[in-house]
Amino acid sequence: MAAPRASRLNIHLQGWLLVLPAVVLLATFTHVPAVETVIDSFFSTPHGKRPAVYIGFDQYRTMLADPVFWLAFRNNLLYALITVPLAIALALLMALWVNGRIKGRAALRLAFFTPTILPMVAAANIWLFFYTPDYGLLNQIIRLFGFESVNWLGSPATALPALMAVTVWKEAGFFMIFFLAALQQVPPVLYEAARMENASSWLVFRRITWPLLMPTTLFVAVNALINAFRVVDQVIAMTGGGPNNATALLLFYIFQVAFSFWDSGYAAALSVVLLSTLAIIAFLQFFLLDRKIHYR
Amino acid sequence: MNRFTRFLTGAALAATVLGGSHASATELTFYYPIAVGGPITKIVDGYAAEFTKAHPDITVKPVYTGSYQDSIVKAMTAAKAGNAPDVAILLSTDMFTLIDNELIEPYDAIATSDADKAWIKAFYPAFMENSQAGGHTWGIPFQRSTIVQYWNKDAFKAAGLDPEKPPKSWDEMVDFGKKLTKRDGSGAVTQWGLEIPSSGFPYWLFQALTTQNGAILANQDGTKVAYTDPKVIEAAQFFADLSGKYQVMPKGIIDWGTTPKDFFEGKTAMMWTTTGNLTNVRTNAKFAFGVAAMPAKARGGSPTGGGNIYIFKNDDKAKLKAALEFARFLSAPERAADWGIATGYVATRPDAWDTDAMKKYTAEFPAAAVARDQLKDAVAELSTHDNQRVTKALNDALQAILTGAKQAKPALDDAQAEATRILTTYQH
Amino acid sequence: MSSVEVRSVTKAWGETRAVDDVSFSVAKGELVVLLGPSGCGKSTMLRMIAGLDEPTTGMIAIEGRDVAGLTGSARGVAMVFQSYALFPHLTVSDNITFGLSVRGTSKQEMAERLARTAALLDLDKLLRRKPAQLSGGQQQRVALGRALIAKAPVCLLDEPLSNLDAQLRQELRREIRALQQRLGITMIYVTHDQTEAMSMADRVILMRGGRIEQNGRPAELYERPATLFAARFIGGAPMNFLDLDDAPLGAVIAGSTGPALFAGPGRGRVLGLRPEDVAVDSANGRAAFHATVTAVEYLGGEALVSCSLGDRAIQARTRGDGAPPIGTAVGLSWDAAASHVFDAASGERLTIDTGTAATSPQLHTVTNQGQIRA
Repeated sequence: MAAPRASRLNIHLQGWLLVLPAVVLLATFTHVPAVETVIDSFFSTPHGKRPAVYIGFDQYRTMLADPVFWLAFRNNLLYALITVPLAIALALLMALWVNGRIKGRAALRLAFFTPTILPMVAAANIWLFFYTPDYGLLNQIIRLFGFESVNWLGSPATALPALMAVTVWKEAGFFMIFFLAALQQVPPVLYEAARMENASSWLVFRRITWPLLMPTTLFVAVNALINAFRVVDQVIAMTGGGPNNATALLLFYIFQVAFSFWDSGYAAALSVVLLSTLAIIAFLQFFLLDRKIHYR
Repeated sequence: MNRFTRFLTGAALAATVLGGSHASATELTFYYPIAVGGPITKIVDGYAAEFTKAHPDITVKPVYTGSYQDSIVKAMTAAKAGNAPDVAILLSTDMFTLIDNELIEPYDAIATSDADKAWIKAFYPAFMENSQAGGHTWGIPFQRSTIVQYWNKDAFKAAGLDPEKPPKSWDEMVDFGKKLTKRDGSGAVTQWGLEIPSSGFPYWLFQALTTQNGAILANQDGTKVAYTDPKVIEAAQFFADLSGKYQVMPKGIIDWGTTPKDFFEGKTAMMWTTTGNLTNVRTNAKFAFGVAAMPAKARGGSPTGGGNIYIFKNDDKAKLKAALEFARFLSAPERAADWGIATGYVATRPDAWDTDAMKKYTAEFPAAAVARDQLKDAVAELSTHDNQRVTKALNDALQAILTGAKQAKPALDDAQAEATRILTTYQH
Repeated sequence: MSSVEVRSVTKAWGETRAVDDVSFSVAKGELVVLLGPSGCGKSTMLRMIAGLDEPTTGMIAIEGRDVAGLTGSARGVAMVFQSYALFPHLTVSDNITFGLSVRGTSKQEMAERLARTAALLDLDKLLRRKPAQLSGGQQQRVALGRALIAKAPVCLLDEPLSNLDAQLRQELRREIRALQQRLGITMIYVTHDQTEAMSMADRVILMRGGRIEQNGRPAELYERPATLFAARFIGGAPMNFLDLDDAPLGAVIAGSTGPALFAGPGRGRVLGLRPEDVAVDSANGRAAFHATVTAVEYLGGEALVSCSLGDRAIQARTRGDGAPPIGTAVGLSWDAAASHVFDAASGERLTIDTGTAATSPQLHTVTNQGQIRA
């Protein structure tokens, strides 16, 4: 009896040994920092010779009273709720377009994908030029139609939408690749079966293509949502969170608190909020939506 | 606070590490940011090599650390990891942050000889205001600047103004601005009178207005700010009025980085920006332009800006001594002149302007001396404990005022309340 | 009026002609099989009848109406795809009623017709499942249901059984045929499997290289193959082909020592014999063709006996327990009426009265063979 038990133990041990490097890496760079962040959020920020002291939920209380936090949170929610559906819709449209049999399809695919290859900061610089007041591309165009030049990044009303446009532009091409791959997984014979019934293209999209793309859409949506809460580079490159925090997003605010204000305790508390938000999104994906969607 | 990075026009400059060929007794790590165009890395490497030649027992390892913001982040995190640089060029306004984190050594503690003491006194007092606190000298001016006004002489001529006379007062500035603002048939503006940038760090340019209006924003110890001084509120109102009431400046936030371009493109006839932009403007302006000291209200003047040399704490006395030696070397008159000519920064000490190289340069290009001449009216850049938070409160208020989201008084009241809350812990 | 009429239809992709000037017609209620090896153009032909592809030239009429420009249901045609083409995200009932819902059929009528179709195909208990939860045979029934529910006068099936195992295939073959006869629908059925074609079809259209090789009842194709190709393609075990040669008394099998088969030239002609028509006798019997057994393939009820006849190989079929051992010298014989003669160059069948040739009595050993086959 002892021998099989020993060998089973041995197999378990081997299994653990095999995953050990991955576990160590994941723990060191993901889990331990996450846990430390949660712990740090209950301490004050150490300053010179003043060490960190336990202050309970004080950082969170500060956060509740911090108008910039609430603004960043609201901005981020808006940012997610607007850019995600737009990027997905655009990605799907582009994918459907370049999936068809059209001339110059390869060139078109490349063109749609190019924004994704560009580093965010490069993309931001291109858009900075588009948005420049007076002689920026966008303003030159709207002036052709007799409108007055708009200071896109310099007005609180337009700055956040202007950043959203960059995100949509950049993400859509990336998501298009997923949709394109998914579209090519759909057996063409299904469309022939639909053609046999003379179904209109809208009906075919609604009843066949769209449901079959659902797993991809979910995947893309969750990724887009997570990305929307991780945006920081274009804020730094384009507006610095301004004017008057109109474009402050959560991660940008965390960055600012941590590396401009050097308030690591408060930054930790903010990070915990961001982490929780992302965790909720992931939870939604894995436990709720997953069941309702057809997987082939 | 990377105020100069936006007009970084040169090619990407990779950090090159100068390896000492022979083992030396002391090795210094030297962090420096790049905030202007030009072959900065090469120049810095040259200085390091030259220094080692003169001091064979010390090797300097220059490390390019990105923008000012990147550099302070790198220096702070390296210090927290127990791996601080020995010498670093960081913003003069980072002084309180560095002091509060007990990272830097005051110069007066190590510069003890008579020659050393004389050296500390050799710099323009305006630059030293941001380098001293609590009776200690924490930084030595290295790459410093002030705000100056640039004007387009051709545009002045076209508007019927004397192209050799920039505005000397606020009233003149508004008056000239109105004449210089041109509209097309539909009423859209084709040329603005003036641009004062307001993105990123509007407090710095605003500080020129408050200085001219006779206000001082913060005390020397960096523990109190005066955002609600009536003169400050008046200055803020004037800032907003330039685009609102007088309509000589574009509405909303004016981007720091594109302001020089607007000037080159003729979109604005006058602009306020750093002296550090001098070389940039000289290269790109296709028209005759002038550089002048700031206009006056109660007085003239501008805040200073830019970076200081800091020496980081170290238990190794030999290292501190070597660091001091290197700081002295970097700030010597010849180097100050050379650096000023290469970058457009203001040479930091009067005797630098007496060097042959500098004399030749100013004879060719008199505009280079404008910033120097303005130094007599210059004040310390706004700098307090928890500096970035305190200045951000002011930045937010200014942007709210400029975009019309808030009135000047309530906005500055809010900023003052926030700053006071932050600074209370430092008022012992 | 024929149900489907195909007139001079050609489908060209650039230079290649997948279907080349094909004409045939299908009567109402007839089951016609388009048979042929892969690449013969049968599937292309079917797709053109379905309206999924348009002919390059030629005309297709369904129920007497030129249907150019119409697709599927619009031309009165339903189709079962080789891979079934079921919508993986829809339930069985939604799959079956997909076409009806597209056409806006009322809910009530849809339910009634679904119930009827499901009963017909024994799908009642599976209606709420998704395709992935069905066996291959069940999926096939769903695909069939989707084609039948519309009550289109013509139903097309593209190799519908090729993904199923042999037993299921046989069952469904019978079932489809029964359904087709019961409902009286016209069916065009594409397959490469000659057994399927022979067992189901009212008529078989054998295609090769985009053209019709032979068009006739299964028995016609078996008994009077029009070409060498048809002869080779139809039948269980492959037909024996023996080159003929000239001899003083008539045509003889090249390279063997047997008697003349018929009067007239033999060179350039090929004799075709189905293994089941060749009888195996003992070597000292009356059979005139002497051969040696080289291999035996035991198939249970019967066996395929490979022999060398001179320097030619020939296969005969015997009872499973009647196969001689390898190496045995045997005599072979066959009924003169069972021999097929083809022109070697053109592959065309030649009408030659083999019965009147100066042949020897071994051609009368059929009695023997009859016993063996019994």
